[in-house]
Amino acid sequence: MTAAETLTAQPVAAPRRGWRRTVRGSEFTLVTIALIGFVALTVATDGNMLTAGTLAAFFRFLAVPMVIGLAQMTVLAIGQMNLSVGVLTGFCAMVSAWLMLAAGWPAVLAVPGALLLGALVGLVNGILVVRTRINAFIVTLATMTIVDGLRYGVNGPRTYQDYSPGLQRLGQASVLGIPVVFIVAVLVAVAVWLFFARTVAGRHLLASGGSPFAARLSGVSNDRSILVAHTVSGLLAGVAAVLTLAQSGSVNATIGDDLLLPSFAAPIIGGVALAGGVVSVLGTSVAAFIVRLVDVTQAQFGINRRWVDLIVGAVVLGAVLVGAVRQRLSRRSS
Amino acid sequence: MTLLAEGLTKSFPGVRALSGATLSVRPGSVHALLGENGAGKSTLVKILTGVYRPDAGRILLDGAPMRFGSPLEALRAGIGVVHQERNLVPEFTVAENIALQHLPRRFGLVDRARMRAEARRCLDLLDLDLDPDTRVGDLSVAQAQLVEIAKALSVDTRVLLLDEPTASLTGDEADRLYRIVARLTATGHAVVLVSHKLEEVFAVADTVTVLRDGHSVAEAQPLADYTRDQIVDLMVGRAHAAVELGARTVDRGAVPALALTGVSTGHGHRDLDLTVAKGEIVGLYGLVGAGRTELARALLGLDTITAGEVAVHGTPARITSVGQALGEHRIGYVPEDRKGEGLFLEQPIARNVGVTVWRRLSRAGLLPDRAERDLVARYTDLLGIRLASPRQLAGQLSGGNQQKVSLAKWLAADCDILIVDEPTVGIDVRTKAAFHELLAGLAAQGRAILLISSDLPEIVTLADRIAVMADRRIRGTLPNTRAYDEMAQRVIRLVHAPLPQEVR
Repeated sequence: MTAAETLTAQPVAAPRRGWRRTVRGSEFTLVTIALIGFVALTVATDGNMLTAGTLAAFFRFLAVPMVIGLAQMTVLAIGQMNLSVGVLTGFCAMVSAWLMLAAGWPAVLAVPGALLLGALVGLVNGILVVRTRINAFIVTLATMTIVDGLRYGVNGPRTYQDYSPGLQRLGQASVLGIPVVFIVAVLVAVAVWLFFARTVAGRHLLASGGSPFAARLSGVSNDRSILVAHTVSGLLAGVAAVLTLAQSGSVNATIGDDLLLPSFAAPIIGGVALAGGVVSVLGTSVAAFIVRLVDVTQAQFGINRRWVDLIVGAVVLGAVLVGAVRQRLSRRSS
Repeated sequence: MTLLAEGLTKSFPGVRALSGATLSVRPGSVHALLGENGAGKSTLVKILTGVYRPDAGRILLDGAPMRFGSPLEALRAGIGVVHQERNLVPEFTVAENIALQHLPRRFGLVDRARMRAEARRCLDLLDLDLDPDTRVGDLSVAQAQLVEIAKALSVDTRVLLLDEPTASLTGDEADRLYRIVARLTATGHAVVLVSHKLEEVFAVADTVTVLRDGHSVAEAQPLADYTRDQIVDLMVGRAHAAVELGARTVDRGAVPALALTGVSTGHGHRDLDLTVAKGEIVGLYGLVGAGRTELARALLGLDTITAGEVAVHGTPARITSVGQALGEHRIGYVPEDRKGEGLFLEQPIARNVGVTVWRRLSRAGLLPDRAERDLVARYTDLLGIRLASPRQLAGQLSGGNQQKVSLAKWLAADCDILIVDEPTVGIDVRTKAAFHELLAGLAAQGRAILLISSDLPEIVTLADRIAVMADRRIRGTLPNTRAYDEMAQRVIRLVHAPLPQEVR
């Protein structure tokens, strides 16, 4: 097994024709692009990337985009979208900070509180989709707006800081030079991979996403898959909230505003099918890495922030087109 | 306009749907196109209307050779069609639907006045008093059917093909439709009528072409020369190379595995009685649209059973979901549409086979890789599924192997009642024979199999008894003697028998 395969929940088939090999290698391609980009950036910055501080910061700020990408991927797996992941991350962070500062909870309780809140809002998203049969895009667009309001309601425009010295120390800590928050993100990715590859619920989710008709006729409850997908997605937003609390010393009502596009960028560039049924944890994680590279390049060379959005947007569009072409090719062969 | 189609041949992967079929239709005539399921009627209709391109043969209109690249070209040449299934946009008005293929335009915008006038003209042709501004969704089934005919006439149509036009109409509505057909032929239109209702065919058609196994066994003959029985003989008398399968012994004294008593469903089935014993294959034959798949879905809890009783191994069962049918009663369903409903094409084979048993295999929510792999290997071996690797995607398999994978998941789930829906549609002859042996073997091991099929030779080869369904009722159940000609005659007579309660 190659490294590329071990983290893929959806291994692609044995290669039979030339182009299939390319499809199989889509994660390999991503890893290659990531490495080349990293080396290029290192060279362009005269090795500045490799200094301990820069490298640690690079990975520390990779943790949240990675987890938020996985949160979106979980809902994409059933062929739906979750527009509320970004603001939900902010809301969970604000509530958790409020619990620690205003309610006096210790971090040991406030952290699970954030996770629980995320899962709960996700569950509500799922229940609304199942009960109303309204498109998840519309439902989560609505809950996004509601959660946005709630996020602001926690503390108005004011900032929370010094909520938990312990948590913040952990956010800055490193093990063997690797930031703890990044290690947590990797562990979360492994858990998500395990969920899709090895649990009944995860498999059912992919079945519902791949073909709801076939899933139903195989005794899989599509409604339950929808509930599970949105709940897990919310839970992961909660994880992203905790990582945010740990790595940045302060939080306010704008947390999560800049997460919506990255949440789609990572899985889409990573080769996750928008139609559902196919996920790739490795692809999503590596794509988050690539987006992070673009961010760092912007910071290093003082490029206008707008250019970064333009590039990421263009790459997402390109990845969607590639996905569409790939799908058409596989249709033709079957 | 005279339509002549000569030597039409069309093959699909593994199946030769038409081999040298000929159809010749004169203006002013109602021409019946008859044949059993799979004889090639729909393929012929689709070639004439530009949906398919023939592999060989030619189409002449008034002696001029035609080549249709699309349905629109056939329509422009003057060949209109009303397909069996509805092709109207319910949210559009009658006028919009009729004019949809060639909306009149003015300054790039739709000219609504002309569109309405055009619709009015077509409706007048049929002497139909319908408001062109009515939404089609608000019309009755019969009215919608007539709007489709109007739509088919909206271009200067000289040949009109009607595919089972009365399938969803009552007797009165059908009479009305045929009065319109008579008027069309009086004005020089040629009408080709595809119908399985022989009484209607004899009442309205004057000439007949009978297709069997993809070629014409009666070409444009006067219908008056034939009796009903002679037509049935022509339709079914196909040379039959039967696969001899070992006879099974069915213990009819025992409690049947599946028993339906007086079952009615939300889909319109009334008062069905049917039993399938352990080790028995019961063939459920019927024409497309007879309601067989719908019955299977009701048995699985996907549709409601409104009256009567379903008993599984003698115990009355109220099945409300597929999960329950599978988990509590061990009933499996292999659907006809294997690509859409049977398989997860983008998933590896192993996932496709394992989907029904993950819950059983899991330990503390996790699936042991090993257990799944062993299980998949067992059933792929048993069914002779050839894999490049268990990670191969289901979408990359051939049709026959896909069907086997679709079946394997129910065997993996240890089902002892299998409902198999049209298992060999679109599968080549050799794989088909292998599949038949497989099903016979599964029955010999004691499984009860309800085989839904429109392929009469398949049913005669496999079934112990044959139940015939038409219009959502079981018209009769026959013990299968496996003598093809005799069984075919008896089954076809049951299908075409008029409904006793339908008094005209």
